[in-house]
Amino acid sequence: MGTAMIEYPGNVPVWVNKSNCKACDLCVSVCPSGVLGMRYDSTSTLGAMISIDHPEACIGCNECELTCPDFAIYVADKSQYKFAKLTDDAKERQAQIIANNYMSLDQKGVK
Amino acid sequence: MAFNYDKYLRLEKMPTLWCWGCGDGVILKAFIRAVDKLGISRDDICVVSGIGCSGRFSSYVDFNTVHTTHGRTVAFATGIKLVNPDKYVVCVAGDGDALAIGGNHTIHGARRNIDMTLIIINNFIYGLTNSQTSPTTPQGMWTVSQKAGNIDPTFDACALGIAAGASFVARETMLDPKKLEKIFVKALEHKGFSYLDIISNCHVNLGRKNQMASAMENLQWIDKITMPKKKWDELSVEEQKNIFPTGILKEDKEAAEYCDLYAEIIKVHQGKRKPLTQNDFAKKI
Repeated sequence: MGTAMIEYPGNVPVWVNKSNCKACDLCVSVCPSGVLGMRYDSTSTLGAMISIDHPEACIGCNECELTCPDFAIYVADKSQYKFAKLTDDAKERQAQIIANNYMSLDQKGVK
Repeated sequence: MAFNYDKYLRLEKMPTLWCWGCGDGVILKAFIRAVDKLGISRDDICVVSGIGCSGRFSSYVDFNTVHTTHGRTVAFATGIKLVNPDKYVVCVAGDGDALAIGGNHTIHGARRNIDMTLIIINNFIYGLTNSQTSPTTPQGMWTVSQKAGNIDPTFDACALGIAAGASFVARETMLDPKKLEKIFVKALEHKGFSYLDIISNCHVNLGRKNQMASAMENLQWIDKITMPKKKWDELSVEEQKNIFPTGILKEDKEAAEYCDLYAEIIKVHQGKRKPLTQNDFAKKI
């Protein structure tokens, strides 16, 4: 039997059910503070998998959870985790990630 | 705790069969959140879907569901609603399902103003059968059935709903899940035919040959062709041609609802009242 949500692992702002993720880039595109990125993964169907690179920058806006079409990504409640404030560094990192074709910055993004 | 969808899903069907980045999933989640917000019991709602990618919608939600034949969602749902007037009935159809093959059912469901919600997931193409021209495909786009470019004029789904007499007509896109959730709440609460044109993406079958092969490129195109109703009203007639207004386009709370009228017919047959005459209606002709 499949599942949608997996249990909160504790002490993280965002967690992912990797068996549901289809690497569509939507969550990466809506994140305001460069928390997420795609990473090449030869075992995944589309050759990439979501990765949470900067959990410390998460502001808890919930956009990635709302936008994910596949019930794969979840954001903790404000009572469960202390979220950061949006900084200029984070905004710049997000712009770089989008310019890098939604891939994490240490990966080579190709269109 | 993050919103838990598990309660409303048929988990054995997960993950969904939809392509990566498909707007259908975003719409499904927004719909589940709306149902949860209204506190509707799973036994009090029926989801009816037709054929197409949108037809999978009824397979994933753990409500009363009917997966019907192509284009007949509103016809089946009318029967379900008349037998269960106190339950919520929701139709989910694609653009080809609701506007081409089921066009006549859509028109007459809207005309009768029967209390149900019709969600048209409009992705501008027949996606399930690999890119044939649908009524909403923009002119000039490449499709399998019109490889030299589509020459059929583009169809405005909401204009049809308003003309046919639906009492609640709205358009939203899958770009903003929060707005989507709000519009579903309003549509479910509305007594009468709620006609929703939800613009979605199909980067796989529409975008592949039309220079928007990734989900993000397709979403940027949707962002370009839609605009909130308030802003849209300020545009000149010439500019309005290529842009769809979003938001609530029509809301009429006074219109008579079909199940209420049908209850009168039942009373006539029970001998509790005289047969209806023209004088019983505000609008005579």
